Amino acid sequence: MAFYILKRLLAMIPTLLGVATLIFLLLRVIPGDVVEARYLTQGSQFQSQDLMNQERHKLGLDKPLWRQFTGWMSGLARFDFGLSMWTSAPITDEIKLRFALSLQLAIMASIIASCLAIPLGILAAMKQDTWVDYSVRVFTIAGLATPSFWLGTLMILAMLIFFKWVPPMTFTPLWVSPKENLALLLWPALAVGYRYCAVGTRMMRSTMLEVLREDYIRTARAKGLWLKLILTRHALKNAILPVLTVISMEFAFLLGGLVVTEQVFNLNGLGMLFVEAISHRDYTLTQALVMLVASAFLVVNFMVDIAYAVLDPRIRYR
Amino acid sequence: MAASPHTVEQLNREAIPRARWLQAVLHFVVNRPLGAVGAVLVLLTATLALTANFVAPYDPLSTDYGAMLSPPDAHHWLGTDSFGRDVLSRIIYGSRTAMTVGLGASLLGASIGSLIGVVSAYFGGRVDLLLQRVLDVFFAFPVIVLALAVVAILGTGAGNVILAIATPMVPRCARVVRAAALSVREMPYVDAARASGFGHRRIILRHMLPNVMAPILIMTTAFLGEAILLEASLSFLGLGVQEPTAAWGLMLRGAAVEFAETAPWMAIFPGLAISLAVFGFNLFGDSLRDALDPRLRTQ
Repeated sequence: MAFYILKRLLAMIPTLLGVATLIFLLLRVIPGDVVEARYLTQGSQFQSQDLMNQERHKLGLDKPLWRQFTGWMSGLARFDFGLSMWTSAPITDEIKLRFALSLQLAIMASIIASCLAIPLGILAAMKQDTWVDYSVRVFTIAGLATPSFWLGTLMILAMLIFFKWVPPMTFTPLWVSPKENLALLLWPALAVGYRYCAVGTRMMRSTMLEVLREDYIRTARAKGLWLKLILTRHALKNAILPVLTVISMEFAFLLGGLVVTEQVFNLNGLGMLFVEAISHRDYTLTQALVMLVASAFLVVNFMVDIAYAVLDPRIRYR
Repeated sequence: MAASPHTVEQLNREAIPRARWLQAVLHFVVNRPLGAVGAVLVLLTATLALTANFVAPYDPLSTDYGAMLSPPDAHHWLGTDSFGRDVLSRIIYGSRTAMTVGLGASLLGASIGSLIGVVSAYFGGRVDLLLQRVLDVFFAFPVIVLALAVVAILGTGAGNVILAIATPMVPRCARVVRAAALSVREMPYVDAARASGFGHRRIILRHMLPNVMAPILIMTTAFLGEAILLEASLSFLGLGVQEPTAAWGLMLRGAAVEFAETAPWMAIFPGLAISLAVFGFNLFGDSLRDALDPRLRTQ
């Protein structure tokens, strides 16, 4: 087991290196750099070339690409993300609060998605090919089809019209003021959770259908066990693993992929930060964000695999 | 003159497939009512997109400053926006943008992805390992982040948006198609083709690709809805199709949010159009998958 874990951990390194190289090169291909972006927003396009070059030198943008890359890599190896090129503040400080927001939103949305997906999936499997099954499918696919930015706009609109209520504008951590925090994040979490329950529901339904056809379920029924007991003790235990996998994979993407939802609900999360960083050509910040999201994805992936190996004795790790 | 056996055969050859085709459609409608609903929505969107210039009551770009933000009435069924443009016409023309970008991106993504997948499975060994590691890297990016990066490089506009949306679809399609192609590679007819001395290209394109068409088709329909949604998201962020082109995501941006309280029709109807179209594609794709993929067949 220890060997397996070590092997999986080591296998992450080349992927992360690949991600780092890819984003590093992609950013350099985007036209313009942070110095140009800054002077353009200040409106003076005729800034002297000398001044701009000085600025570039200060940021290390005049070094050859491989020097920039190795410099960044050696920082990463020490978990030092460096300074943001746009604000010159340490990137860790820039990201901290936004990461807390995005993480909490992703956790809440995943919980909501599981709370919808598991019961709905079981229901659809039990009533396969009846109107119940069809309604569940329509409900979940409708969620998948509804753009989160539209659903968000409608939610805000409804609250404004019916309750004259406007969500708070700023993010307060859960431990500071739970009420304000939840008032801000509950609605986006609902919108996102509903949207992402579709895949989980479909998975729950199909694994449940598979498990219900197993011999041991028939045996349990023949013994005269309660249906409820069979479902929770025998069927669910075996059917739920793939569902949890799907939901946790999505969780990783929710961390950095909620650009649009954040925009609608006016949240300062990682997604919006990413868009800002790209439009400012803030190389260091963008790179840090991408590495953060990619490693979150890899770590979640890794943990799912380990959980599988631990929970399902049929899976043998090599 | 008596019909020669030749012409009878010809007749049959034409008649039988047509009857089977009809039968297949009927079978689909009866067995998968939801899929049929999806198919109707897909057809509706496609028809609107093709006939936009005949169906739309107004020019989607013409502004009417005398009728700005007018609520839905007999003249403007779904109201007008802050420039006095007819919302219904813009939605109808928007279906054209959505279909173009959606079809373009999913076809592009699926073809490149499936080619990579088949090549990876066919050659195996080091090629396979290398390609899979590269795909792993792409997998670690959230879809929208990858699309945004491509838009940042290429710039906005419909053509670039197609490329941006196709990019995150390539690795996902490649992975699914590779899995299917792995089993096809072991088939005797591939051995036979190799024994006959055919080149790699011919074996890949003529012998393997046609036999993994089912997963490719499934992925393409699944991508279609997602591509439309992504296009809407990018346009909503202002990083997709640009004004004044009629696009659903664009219609939900700016003024639609600003005037959401006083002119809710601007925010409601374009979103409804996106949802219905994507809903149709997803329902249809779902049923198609159930019908084509025997492993997922639950009946």
